[in-house]
Amino acid sequence: MNTLKVQLQIFRYKQGQSPHYDSFVVDVPDTAHVIDAIDAAWAIHDPTLTFRRACHHSSCGSCAIRINGVEKLPCITRITDVWDGHRPLRLDPLRNFPIVSDLVVDVTSFFQRMSAADMAMTCEAEAFLPFSVDTFAVADLDPKPVDLPENFSRFSRFEQCIECGICMSACPTMAADEKFLGPAGLAAIHQARKKTDDPVKVAYLLGLADGEHGVWRCHSAFECTEACPQAVDPAGKIMALRRELIVSRFTKMLGKRNV
Amino acid sequence: MSKLDYRKLSRASRWLDVRNRKLGMWAYALNRITGIGLVIYLYMHLFVLSLLLRGPTAWDSFVALARSPYFLALDVILLAGILIHGLNGLRIALTGFGIGVGAQRALFTTLMVISAIALWVAALKIFRV
Repeated sequence: MNTLKVQLQIFRYKQGQSPHYDSFVVDVPDTAHVIDAIDAAWAIHDPTLTFRRACHHSSCGSCAIRINGVEKLPCITRITDVWDGHRPLRLDPLRNFPIVSDLVVDVTSFFQRMSAADMAMTCEAEAFLPFSVDTFAVADLDPKPVDLPENFSRFSRFEQCIECGICMSACPTMAADEKFLGPAGLAAIHQARKKTDDPVKVAYLLGLADGEHGVWRCHSAFECTEACPQAVDPAGKIMALRRELIVSRFTKMLGKRNV
Repeated sequence: MSKLDYRKLSRASRWLDVRNRKLGMWAYALNRITGIGLVIYLYMHLFVLSLLLRGPTAWDSFVALARSPYFLALDVILLAGILIHGLNGLRIALTGFGIGVGAQRALFTTLMVISAIALWVAALKIFRV
């Protein structure tokens, strides 16, 4: 294992100060990931450097940033995959979110979009953990469903999404329309639509998708799908919603003519 | 008069930031550029047509200008804009119907190759007139 001397160029911003870039040189193993280099810069050079990280294995989505301008999870991005060995590795916060400090952005708008589709924070799979978090009966490892709330369907999001916000940062339309529901919001609507046949709910969800800031604002750059680290394919979901809306309009139009 | 919102302008400039992006972003940026170009052309076209109101002399002198090689080159650029915008629009329409969503990159490449061939043939014809 060799050691790399990596030059980082990190976006810095603190409230009341002008944004700028700081350069750091850190020594990391050649097997290291970008998050390790950021950790080293923080630990060795500047403890005021602000960034998020938690799981280190692309499960929490909290560390999402832009590496050389492209949205990635630094916890699973190897330095050797993104650093040419000469130019500094440029690290920026996600786009289309307010910057809180350095590499940390305020992702509130992401969750607001998810909740518009009635999507909350619990995976269905989480309800089928091998033990209940209430009893913590780890000795009994047979998977048993925990007690679910009556309105459980309201508490299921789409399973793969780790809520990193990368899709909203990668989307060029988000830059033009702050109210655009965005890839995550529209993918959540699609998932909620798949889970229900209740005509009232379906009408509400399709109405949301059909609105001024819905699926028609997407201009098919497919950057959300390209950037998504979890293969959620938000663009595919947006296209599926469009298809359903088009079919429904044609059906209504032809139906009315036949009357 | 309301002030120009530089923040919005700065955000909108990301439409054209294709650095390190994938093919779909190039399609997106090309569609924006050609779309704006075609709107400008539409107004220019209406202005040119208004020359008819000024009588045959004004129109004939414009036609003489329009036959110059430099002007014909502008015709080729216009045609490139129409082909790229039109065929890319076809990609957007097809994917919007759920057709070729998974193959949108291949679809874009194919349509742009068709654009290039059509443009080459049209340019030869334009300059041979």
